[in-house]
Amino acid sequence: MPTVVRCWRCQDEHTPQVFCPACEALQLLPPDIDYFTVFGLARAPMLDEQALAKTYYALSRQLHPDLHQTGTAEEQEASLQNTAVVNRAYRTLRDPVQRGRYWLELNGEQLGKENNKIPPALALFVFEVQEKLAAVREAQSAGTSGALTGLKAELDQVRDDLDNRTRGLQQKLAANFSKWAQANGSSELLGELKRVLSDMAYLRTLTRDMDKALSTL
Amino acid sequence: MEHIVGIDLGTTNSLIAYVDEAGPQVIADSATGQKMLPSIVSFLPNDRVVVGREAGELARTQPLSTIRSVKRFMGLGMEHVSPDDRKRYRFVDDQGDSASLVRFAIHDRQVTPPEVSAVILRALRDRAAAALQEEVGKVVITVPAYFNDSQRQATKDAGKLAGLEVIRLLNEPTAAALAYGLNTKEEGLIAVYDFGGGTFDVSILRLQTGIFEVLSTNGNTRLGGDDIDQSIAERFLLTDLDEELRGDLQVLNGALRAAEKAKQVLSEQDETILNLAVPSSGVQISRRLSRHEMEAAVDEIVARTLEPCRQALKDAGLETQDIEEVVLVGGSTRMPLVRQRVGEFFGRTPLTDIDPDEVVALGAGVQADTLSGRRRDMLLLDVVPLSLGIETMGGVMSHLIERNTTIPASVKEMFTTAVDDQTAVAVHVLQGERELVQDCRSLARFSIPIEPKPAGVPRVEVTFMIDANGILNVSATDLRTGLERSLEVKPSYGLTDEEVERLLEESIDFAEEDIEQRLLIEARTEADTVLHATDKALSQNASFLQEGEEEQIAQVVQKVREACAGEDYDLIRDLTEELSQVTTPFAQRIMDSSIQEALGEKQLSDL
Repeated sequence: MPTVVRCWRCQDEHTPQVFCPACEALQLLPPDIDYFTVFGLARAPMLDEQALAKTYYALSRQLHPDLHQTGTAEEQEASLQNTAVVNRAYRTLRDPVQRGRYWLELNGEQLGKENNKIPPALALFVFEVQEKLAAVREAQSAGTSGALTGLKAELDQVRDDLDNRTRGLQQKLAANFSKWAQANGSSELLGELKRVLSDMAYLRTLTRDMDKALSTL
Repeated sequence: MEHIVGIDLGTTNSLIAYVDEAGPQVIADSATGQKMLPSIVSFLPNDRVVVGREAGELARTQPLSTIRSVKRFMGLGMEHVSPDDRKRYRFVDDQGDSASLVRFAIHDRQVTPPEVSAVILRALRDRAAAALQEEVGKVVITVPAYFNDSQRQATKDAGKLAGLEVIRLLNEPTAAALAYGLNTKEEGLIAVYDFGGGTFDVSILRLQTGIFEVLSTNGNTRLGGDDIDQSIAERFLLTDLDEELRGDLQVLNGALRAAEKAKQVLSEQDETILNLAVPSSGVQISRRLSRHEMEAAVDEIVARTLEPCRQALKDAGLETQDIEEVVLVGGSTRMPLVRQRVGEFFGRTPLTDIDPDEVVALGAGVQADTLSGRRRDMLLLDVVPLSLGIETMGGVMSHLIERNTTIPASVKEMFTTAVDDQTAVAVHVLQGERELVQDCRSLARFSIPIEPKPAGVPRVEVTFMIDANGILNVSATDLRTGLERSLEVKPSYGLTDEEVERLLEESIDFAEEDIEQRLLIEARTEADTVLHATDKALSQNASFLQEGEEEQIAQVVQKVREACAGEDYDLIRDLTEELSQVTTPFAQRIMDSSIQEALGEKQLSDL
């Protein structure tokens, strides 16, 4: 990441920031800026989500294209590009799973395509869900509405279970984030963090499939 | 500072608004005092056009060259045109190449939906210029939140064709929220339910001191009051007619007008009379319609708006009880049934303080004010309604930007080559939520030019940027050379830049025609037809007259004749209508008897 950039208007050299400290012109953020830096945060998986939201709104109030409509072409372009970066950064950081993944990537760790594999801890539960979903499809193609009513109740129950598990994992993730902050990292903790993240990613896919099936009932 | 004005380019009516010291206001037509301009455009054979109420009058006699609800066709291709659409208009089917943008065949020319919309925009522009005493160049135009990229682009093209600089496309429900949020320093979660003439939108917003953050949006860009009219017309008027009459354009349009009128009356009253009189086709229907009957018939249409509401809530991660306020927008929300259903769904009484017909235009005015730099205390954070992606191997859509992502939104995607010395990579851009390409809407295709190198060596980064208008822009950079690559994007259902230029040059003359004269002639012709039919019935079937009826009819006949000698076409038309109604029972008796005769004959011949 470049440590010094030059203002397009007054040529002042400074560290990357939204407004030029010398002439206050809107600056284009460097394309490789990381999402934590966008919000002036330390690169750590644990963060104060409310404070993040507050910073996001404050940045939007400074950057949004609607507020630079009367500016020069350079300013309009910087406003558009920067807002897109800030929006993407906020969308990533506000969600613990996406944030965790992004943070791993920043540290050269890939969660990779592992979420295509069923996480061992979830195997039994996943089979149960898949079985129920298959039963729904079967009943639907056979047109047996009586069986569907029973299945709907079962699915609803599994759906609640899914929510509970997701909540459990969320707590586990938050605990891991804070442990990481305290212990300042360890390879053992990193492995655990990756496991929780990939479990959560898997549960999300499952939740999506489930809701799709439920919406057809 | 120059004014930027806000335009609500609606399916049924269009309005223009601006903000002055007193706040946002809709600009009325200086001659008539009307704020709403009916979104109807009539093309005359002499290359002239008429817009608004007068065009609506022309629709009676020139249905094929008069376009209503053009918004429903914006950004669509011929394959999206329905059989019902084909009953009402003529289209250019064979367009020679693969581009299949909707084109109306009117007289001997082709007219695209953006051109029709441009006529409406120009009329509004002139209205504002007259009121503000200054040129109007920059505008904010509202679009349904659920409009896809092609529909948005078509709206922007319409602005360009009208000689306007469209500085922002604004989502209609968001505009409404702006108009409502003006007077209050409210915080909280609100739902905007926007049911207009042709489109339905729902948006969930979080309000907090000056920031209007859209959390999710959903809708249907082909569901509106038009569908309710159609349903009423079919169920209560057309069903009694034979196939041939049902296909008669004057009958169909007459039935739709009657249905619309009845729908409006039934928002205030419990009962009305549905009248359909098309003398030239011998159609004369008059029947009672209760609000209850109508509601039973259209409940299914209203119910179809609730699924998008459910989906929007879910996407926002909310439950109905989280919503603190529900705002109603659009003419269709005047219906008590709609208010009731929305109230039941959200579990609270919806807000209707601001006129649902004006609220979107007022919000557009407010946003125009912000964009002109006059006010900095409000900020909109809107979203893209549909996921954006590209076609990948096996006809699968790969999502790049998910729906309900805050805009502007951008994503970078790396492209390389699969074979040695490949000189281009083709990209197909799509929008939609389904997995298969064939189930998504094709937006555009472009090709990335590449220097011939071994497979996998070239690295071109393409940036997909959805701007604050919700419109996609793409740019490409060759990562090896750092040079920007120009891309020629071919819209799947849109005008190319060259076509917009050409159309601008040959743009249609604007309504200098003396429309009054034309309307007068038509009103007289219609009156003549009815008078003639009445005379004939009176002389041939006098025996069917009841006591006093002849005198009553004669009185109205006299009034119609007197009116025809004058120049007031509205009066002629009203009296012609009155004559049709007065003679309805008489005509009914004649008809009943001839049916009995026909039946009687049949029974005889059966023996």
